[in-house]
Order: sequence, then C-alpha cells, then structure tokens
Amino acid sequence: MVVGDVTTGTELLVIGGGPGGYVAAIRGAQLDLDVTLVEKDAYGGTCLNHGCIPSKALVSATDVAHAAGSAEHMGVHADPAIDMQGMVSWKDKLVRTLTKGVEHLCSDAGVNLIEGRAEFAGHDTARVVHDGEGEGSESISFEHAIIATGSRPIEIPGFEFDGERILSSRQVLSLESAPDSMLVVGGGYIGMELATVFQKVGTDVTVLEQLPDALPTYEDDVTEVVRDRAEELGVDFHFGHRATGWEEDGDGLLVTTESDDGEETFAAEKCLVAVGRRPVTETLNLDETDIETTENGFIGTDSKARTDIEHIFAVGDVAGEPMLAHKAFKEGEVAAEVVADEPAALDYQAMPAAVFTDPEIGSVGMTEAEAEDAGFTPAVGQMPLRASGRALTVDDTDGFVRVVADAESGFVLGGQIVGPDASEMVAELALAIEMGATLEDVAATVHIHPTLSEAVHEAVKGAAGRSIHY
Amino acid sequence: MAFEFELPDVGEGVAEGELVEWHVAVGDHVAEDEVLADVETDKSIVDLPSPVTGTIAELHAEVGDVVPVGDVVVTIDTDAEVNGDADETTVDAETEREGEDAGGEDSGETPASGGRVFAPPHVRRLARELGVDVTSVAGSGPGGRVTEQDVRAAASTGGSDDDDVASAVSKVDESDSPESVASTASDDTEPKAAVSKVSDDGDATEPESAVSNVSDDSKRSAVRKASDTGEQRPAAADREKTLAVPATRKLAEEEGVEMDAVPTEKTQDGHAFVEPEDIRTYAEAQQATQQQEATAVSETATAGEATTEAVTGEAAVADGEVTREPYSGIRRSIGQHMEESVYTAPHATHHDTAVIDELVATRAELKPRAQQRGVSLTYLPFVMKAVVAALKEFPVLNTTLDEDNEEVVYRHFYNIGVATATEAGLMVPVVDAVDGKSLVEIAAETADLTERARERDLAREEMQGGTFSITNFGAIGGEYATPIINYPETAILGLGSIEQRPVVSDGEVVAAHTLPLSLSIDHRVIDGAEAAGFVNTVIEYLENPTLLLLE
Ligand SMILES: Cc1cc2nc3c(=O)[nH]c(=O)nc-3n(C[C@H](O)[C@H](O)[C@H](O)COP(=O)(O)OP(=O)(O)OC[C@H]3O[C@@H](n4cnc5c(N)ncnc54)[C@H](O)[C@@H]3O)c2cc1C
Repeated sequence: MVVGDVTTGTELLVIGGGPGGYVAAIRGAQLDLDVTLVEKDAYGGTCLNHGCIPSKALVSATDVAHAAGSAEHMGVHADPAIDMQGMVSWKDKLVRTLTKGVEHLCSDAGVNLIEGRAEFAGHDTARVVHDGEGEGSESISFEHAIIATGSRPIEIPGFEFDGERILSSRQVLSLESAPDSMLVVGGGYIGMELATVFQKVGTDVTVLEQLPDALPTYEDDVTEVVRDRAEELGVDFHFGHRATGWEEDGDGLLVTTESDDGEETFAAEKCLVAVGRRPVTETLNLDETDIETTENGFIGTDSKARTDIEHIFAVGDVAGEPMLAHKAFKEGEVAAEVVADEPAALDYQAMPAAVFTDPEIGSVGMTEAEAEDAGFTPAVGQMPLRASGRALTVDDTDGFVRVVADAESGFVLGGQIVGPDASEMVAELALAIEMGATLEDVAATVHIHPTLSEAVHEAVKGAAGRSIHY
Repeated sequence: MAFEFELPDVGEGVAEGELVEWHVAVGDHVAEDEVLADVETDKSIVDLPSPVTGTIAELHAEVGDVVPVGDVVVTIDTDAEVNGDADETTVDAETEREGEDAGGEDSGETPASGGRVFAPPHVRRLARELGVDVTSVAGSGPGGRVTEQDVRAAASTGGSDDDDVASAVSKVDESDSPESVASTASDDTEPKAAVSKVSDDGDATEPESAVSNVSDDSKRSAVRKASDTGEQRPAAADREKTLAVPATRKLAEEEGVEMDAVPTEKTQDGHAFVEPEDIRTYAEAQQATQQQEATAVSETATAGEATTEAVTGEAAVADGEVTREPYSGIRRSIGQHMEESVYTAPHATHHDTAVIDELVATRAELKPRAQQRGVSLTYLPFVMKAVVAALKEFPVLNTTLDEDNEEVVYRHFYNIGVATATEAGLMVPVVDAVDGKSLVEIAAETADLTERARERDLAREEMQGGTFSITNFGAIGGEYATPIINYPETAILGLGSIEQRPVVSDGEVVAAHTLPLSLSIDHRVIDGAEAAGFVNTVIEYLENPTLLLLE
C-alpha cells in the first residue's frame, strides 16, 4: 500500500472495474498500452456482484425447483424443498469464482490493479482515495482515461433502502430466507425477473407499477406472454399504482399507493424497490475536468466513446442507455482500441437485449413499427412456439419468434422473441443484422432439428413468404 | 460533419418521389424538422423535414427530378459534433444511439435508412481504415450489401469524397492494361450504368428512372464495374469445390452461372471463395462474349451498340417532334387506378335525366340562409342526400366485392367520394357519414375537402373509406359520360351540367332545368334493373326536394 502522495504515471487509466472497465483494461493491455485499473469495491462491478450473474443464478435455481415440482403430467412426481441459504451461498460461490477470474484476467494481461476510489485532480491527473483512517491517497497522471463508474438503483423519496423492509435489488439477492410476502415496486425487467424468482420460492409477490403495464419498452403481445405466465404462477399485478409512502406493520410493512381509484394499502413482509438506475458520477470529482453531465446525469460520448475531452472516454452504464452489460463490454473494447489508435468505432447496428423472466424475452434491432418509421417496408414472419416440436418437448410453448426484414432488399432488421431460451435464440438474428444478411441467407442455412432455433428459421422463412412448418 | 440525407420512404412503401419544390438553397441554415422540400409521390405531396440542424452544402436533385427512395437528396453540414445530450442518450434504444453516433467525429458512419448500414462489421472497420464513407458505397452483395471489394474499389477510386468520373476513368487509363481496356472503359460507361442499375435493383427501379436519373450512384457503379472488368479478364475456372454464402449460390443460379467455373482469387479455409460480384463479373463477361459472337455472325459491326441503346431507350428520343413527360407520381397513380377498375369491373352505364325546376327554386331559396352561416350551397349536397336515400333503397350499389372470399360486402354507412379535378389530376376526397349530416354540414365539408384537394393539402385518410362516388363533370360542361368506377366501390354517379333544356310536359315542349345523370355500375354485382331503379329514386328525390326532408 502506498501511503502519502506519490505520483505515478500511466498511459491509460480506467476508473471502475465493472464490465465496461475491466474489458477496456484487458483490451488496452492486449494492445500494449500501459494500463491502470482502479476499482473501489469489487471487480466485476454491478453485473458480477449484484446484477446479471447473481440474479441469473437465482432464476436458474428456482426454475429447477419449479419445473421439478410441476411435471406430474410428464410423469415426474416431486415436491422440491427450497433451502434459501443453500441457494444463496451457491450463488455467492459462483460470484467469487467469476470475480477472481476477472481479477486474474486483468493481471495476466498486465493491467496494473489498484483498489480505491479514483477522482479527477485535473485534466490529466487523478487521485486514488483509500477509505479508512490514515490510508492517504496517491496521484496518477494519465495520458488517457476511461470512465466506467456504472450506475446505482434509483431511490424513491420516502423509500430509502434500509436493508430491513425496503430493499434494493442487490439486498434482495442476498436474503438468507424467503419472505412470506413481498411487494415489488416497479415492473421493469429487474422487478419482473426478481418477482418471478421469489414467487417460485414460495413468496407471495405483488407487483405495483405506476404505468399501465409491465415491461413498457416491449410490444404488447410480447409483454402479455410474460405477464400471463407470472399471473399463472401467482404474482399479483396492480397497474396504475404509484407507491407514495409506507409504515411499519409488525415485522412487515404497509405500503400506500395512489391510483385513479384513490388510495390503497398493501401489506407484506418486505418491499423491493426496482424503479430504474441512475449513472454514478459523483464519486469522480468531475468538476476538475470540463466534462459536463447531461440532464439525466449521464456522460455524453461520441461514436468513439469519447467525452467532450478528447483524451477522456466514458463507457457502460455511466455513458447512457441502454444500461446493459454487453453494451458496456462493447464500449469498453472500442474505447481501448481507439486509445491504441485502432480504427474502432461504436458502429453496431443493433443492441440486443434480454429479460430473464419465465418465459424469457430476447429482442434485437427494429420492431415492425420502428422499421416503418425508419422508412422500410417491413416483411414480418412470426412463428408461434406451439407449432415447434422442440418447444413441446421442453414443455414450454407460450410465445413466439418474430422476424422483421426489409421487404425490398430482404435485409434482416430486427426480431422479437418471447419463449424459453429467447436470450440465446436472439443471437442468431443479431449476427444476421450485423452481417447485413438477407432473409435468403438465413433461410438457406440448415438448422438442427429438433431445436428452438428452428423457430427462428421458420419465422425467417415466413417473412420470406415460404414457411413450411407453420 | 457532412450529413447525407437520403430520401426516406415518405409515403407508405413508395419507391420514388418527384421533387416539386426546394424550400432551401445552398448556404441556408436549417433547423431540425424545418421543411427542406416538397416531394410528390404517387399518393400525395409531402413535406421533407430536415433530420438535423446545419447548413445546406449541396442539393443533389433539381425540381422535377424523380428521386428513388434511398438516394441522397441533400448534404447538410451539421452544426456541431454531436455529443450525446440528455434526451438522446436516455430515450431508449439503439436507433437513437446510432443516429447520434453517426454525427460523431471522423467515424465515417452516416446513417442509412433508420441508421442501418448493410455491411458486415469487418467491412465497416476496413472502411474506417481506408477513410471511406461506407454509406456512400454502392453495395454489390445480395440485396445491395457492401462487401470488402466494394470498399476497396471505392477507396481506390477516390473514396467517398468525390465521385469524379473523369478521375476514375483516367485511373483505368493509367492502369497497366493495353489501350483496348481503356477504350472499353470509356465506351461502356454510360450504357453499363443504366443496364447494371436495372439488373441490380430488379423491379424496384423502372428503366425510366435509370435513364432520367443517371445518378452519381450509377456513375460510380459503372466506374467500379469498368475497372473490375479491366482488372480481371474472366476465363472460366474449373474447380471441384467452391465456397460461397447461400445468397451467392442463389444468385449464381439466377444468373445461370456454374459456381465452380467462376474465377476468384479469394480463398477461405484453403478453398476458393466466391462472392456475388465475382458471379456478376463472370456473368457479364459471358454475356459480352455471347454478344460478340452474335455480332460476328450477323456481320453488323454496330449490333452491340444498337442493343445497348435500345435498352437505355435513348435512341427513341427525336428532337422537337415529340416531348416526353414522365408518367409518374399522381398521374401514374390515377392511371393505375383506372386500369385496375376497368380491367377488373365490367362497366355498364345507365343514363337518365332529372327535371329539377323545383330543386332550382328550393336551392335559390335556401342559398342566402346558408350564406348567412358562411356556407355556399351548391346542388351537390342535394344530390348527395338523394343518393344516400336511393342507396338505402338499393343497398347493392353501396357494396364492394370481396373476391378472395367470394362475398359481396354491404356497407351500412354512407361515405360519399366527390371526384375533384385538380391541376395535378383527379382526386376523390370522401365526405364521411353523409346520412347523418344536414345539407349545410355536407356543403361546408364538401367545399373544404374539394378546396384542399385543389391545393393538394389532403391527408391520405381523407381520400380513403368511400362507399360510393359522385363525379360532377357537368361543372365543366357536357351532358352524359361514362364515369369509371372508383374501384373497389361498385357504382359511381356522374352529373351533367344543369341547364334549361327542352322537355315535354303535358304534350308540349317547354324549357325546364334538367340534370343529366350517368350511372356506371360494376355489372358483376349490380344488374341493369337495379341501376335503373336506383337512378329513378335519385330522380324522384331531386324532382321533389321536399322528400329530402324525410331523410
Ligand atoms: C439485478 C440486476 C440484474 C441485471 N441483469 C442484467 C442482465 O441480465 N443482462 C445485462 O446485460 N445487464 C444486466 N444488468 C445491468 C448490468 O449489471 C450493468 O449494465 C453493468 O454492470 C454495467 O457495467 P458498468 O461497467 O458500466 O458498470 P458497473 O457494473 O456498475 O461497474 C462500475 C464499477 O465502478 C466502480 N466505481 C464507481 N465509481 C468509482 C470510482 N470513483 N473509483 C473506482 N471505482 C469506481 C463501482 O464500484 C463498480 O464496481 C443487471 C443489473 C441489475 C442491478
């Protein structure tokens, strides 16, 4: 540990070790840059420690339990018992493996790792502050910097996270036992994923959402499949309800909402608040640079991930929507390559996104309406999963694959998938879009039978006007 | 930053638009959403708003040009480097993001339609490396995908910055090839442009647009083609195995080309790898050889030229004796509509005359009162009322034929189209739910719609949803005509001019105001008896306007 004020120099300083930061650091080191990565908390950032990975671990574990317990029609009789503590410690183990992995990848690539909080001390220097008494700070002068400080959950006034009754997604993912009942404020993707997880472990889940439907960024017919399934599982939805306050009620709480029908109260043991995330910039002392944040707190960037200051870049959640780990990966990679003078740019044609509900949603590129707005004449093909042999054999036939293409050229423009493994299926369409592939290209590619990916194939053929199996 | 604004699909699925008027000139400063031009499609005239804020650098089309959707119409120097500001970064989704990226510095990415660029990632990267604006490269891949070769060709002909044909051609000249190649290149440039354009775009581009619009694009592709052929003299290859993506194989099949015979220097995993432009080059070379053979046989030295000229259509233009106007936009749209109607619905026309002295008196009486309400009362609203009354009695005239399901669809609402002559041609705005409206309301609405039709200020919806149409050709003069049904409606009523004409009354010839009526029907659905019955009812109402009070 370096105590006092020592200045070291680096070619590339990366602030934050989440998906955006660690990828930038590794890529920079691969391209022979001298890279320093500063992380104040844990390598892997939100995604590995409190986001994607832990939530998906719990999604899978609860899926296993749920599937085993509801397969009597398949001749399987089981009554799985859930040991929440066991489940959470399994998840923690995964997270440890992965964060260690990230740390090793960084150091193996030759990245100089520093633990602490980095803040700007000027245009080309940063100070690393170590928490705790007498730890002091050190200065780093840099030629280039990449800001990758991520995001944190939004708190609604009056619903500050206390870790007892009002919980953030991060706190919920570490509960040692399943509550009897839980309110979920917010029906976005995080709220919906966690609502499903807890309903499956036996918690009575009620979702309170201010908008008229869950997952508002998706088309209605997509959302409907997911909402219907959640309802079947027992999740209670109240749309048009805005949470306005709460009070203690024994060990639990009473949450008050306002809706067109007036005030209502909902009782539960715990309350998860998942109403979105906001960028983290206040840890950075940005005032020392000329970088200004936008109205929503993001740092604006150009197609090379550069901020207003030529040699400072921003990637990941802090650089804007959509706040997704793979977007952070891509931006981190591009930023590092630009620093290393490679001809890189953020020229991706579409950013895929997934929601890991039951069933999953996978989407990429344009919807039919978006394609129309962009001036295309869309050709649309849709394959319902109830017509897929594989979907029948995995006993999961709700949902569909929809493909949107340009009728004239045949270029694939987008796809919306809702169904089992939608997050995997969408990858094929993402590749098609990046390659500028036409319907003909995908239609002429042989797909394995019986698989869910055949549904993508069939939807593509449908858009080309010649489906066989549907 | 130069923003190349491509003509978007301004209607629903239109392929081209005619530039009617520019609202800006080079050097003008424009704000986002400010109207740049008026563009006429075959459906209507629409505003073309600017997608960016900046200064007009270049107009790529002149008034009267027919511009295919996707061609650059104007280059705008955007004001600033766009750094994601609040709204743009947050408002969701990649499209937003892409748009923004495109504004970014020296990235070389300008958004194509909806920000999409149809080129694989490694090609986009190569374009950046070579300083080529990938969006301005004409793609030779399936559907127009930009390939590595396209980008390299663009880079070697001066890239995106200019499409200077002279320099490109001289580039071919310079090349180590013998004079014959140089002369081939310059001779072939124009015809090839037109021909390759037609074959590239398939049916999307009609020959006429290829000719009327020998665009920068086609010049460039001609140049590229010319240099391609200059470089490779395709002799047939003879391989056992050839790699290619499925779409390329399909193209080979379409061109009637044997995959293993297509020459290529590219390999993948040790096997020959063929791309679409290889197929095209080879197919063209084959055709050329065939043509040469044909020429030799017929001993006509100019046969080759004659063929190409015939294809471009240029030979047909003889100065002075004829002038040609494009059959496009609204004119073509009307034409297609008429064609569809006449060739689909067997027309029969029924003529009769209403003696309308009483109606003339009634209207004269009501006119000042309508005037007080700011409405000018013509005869048309009375006719519309009478028509609705008659339609109620003969609902078969208010139908449409659903051929797919083999059903006649009776509409229980009365939306009357009013054919209106405008400078641009015939328009048929529709007055909705005529049965529920008073004379004055109908008059006001009709006046407003026809007025706006003349000013070409109608929304598309205002010309849709009609159940029966009226055409008032008599306003210009004439007694009887054969109106063409506004398909898929099944009947149309034509009105002649209202004039005093001799009629026989009580055995004597007297002068009376008469209105000649011409009803055309779709004889598949409606019989002559029904047509006559309908017209009789219309006449009854027009001759006894007090009956209209019942309606
Ligand atoms: C419950 C949940 C589930 C999710 N599921 C998915 C999913 O399935 N798929 C998906 O794509 N995305 C998912 N996300 C989103 C994903 O986690 C983020 O998009 C991703 O983590 C963003 O990466 P980042 O590098 O920008 O920021 P982060 O991962 O937030 O990392 C930022 C890092 O910077 C550090 N830091 C901040 N300030 C400083 C400073 N001044 N000095 C040093 N270090 C600093 C922080 O400690 C943190 O480690 C999920 C998020 C949550 C909360």
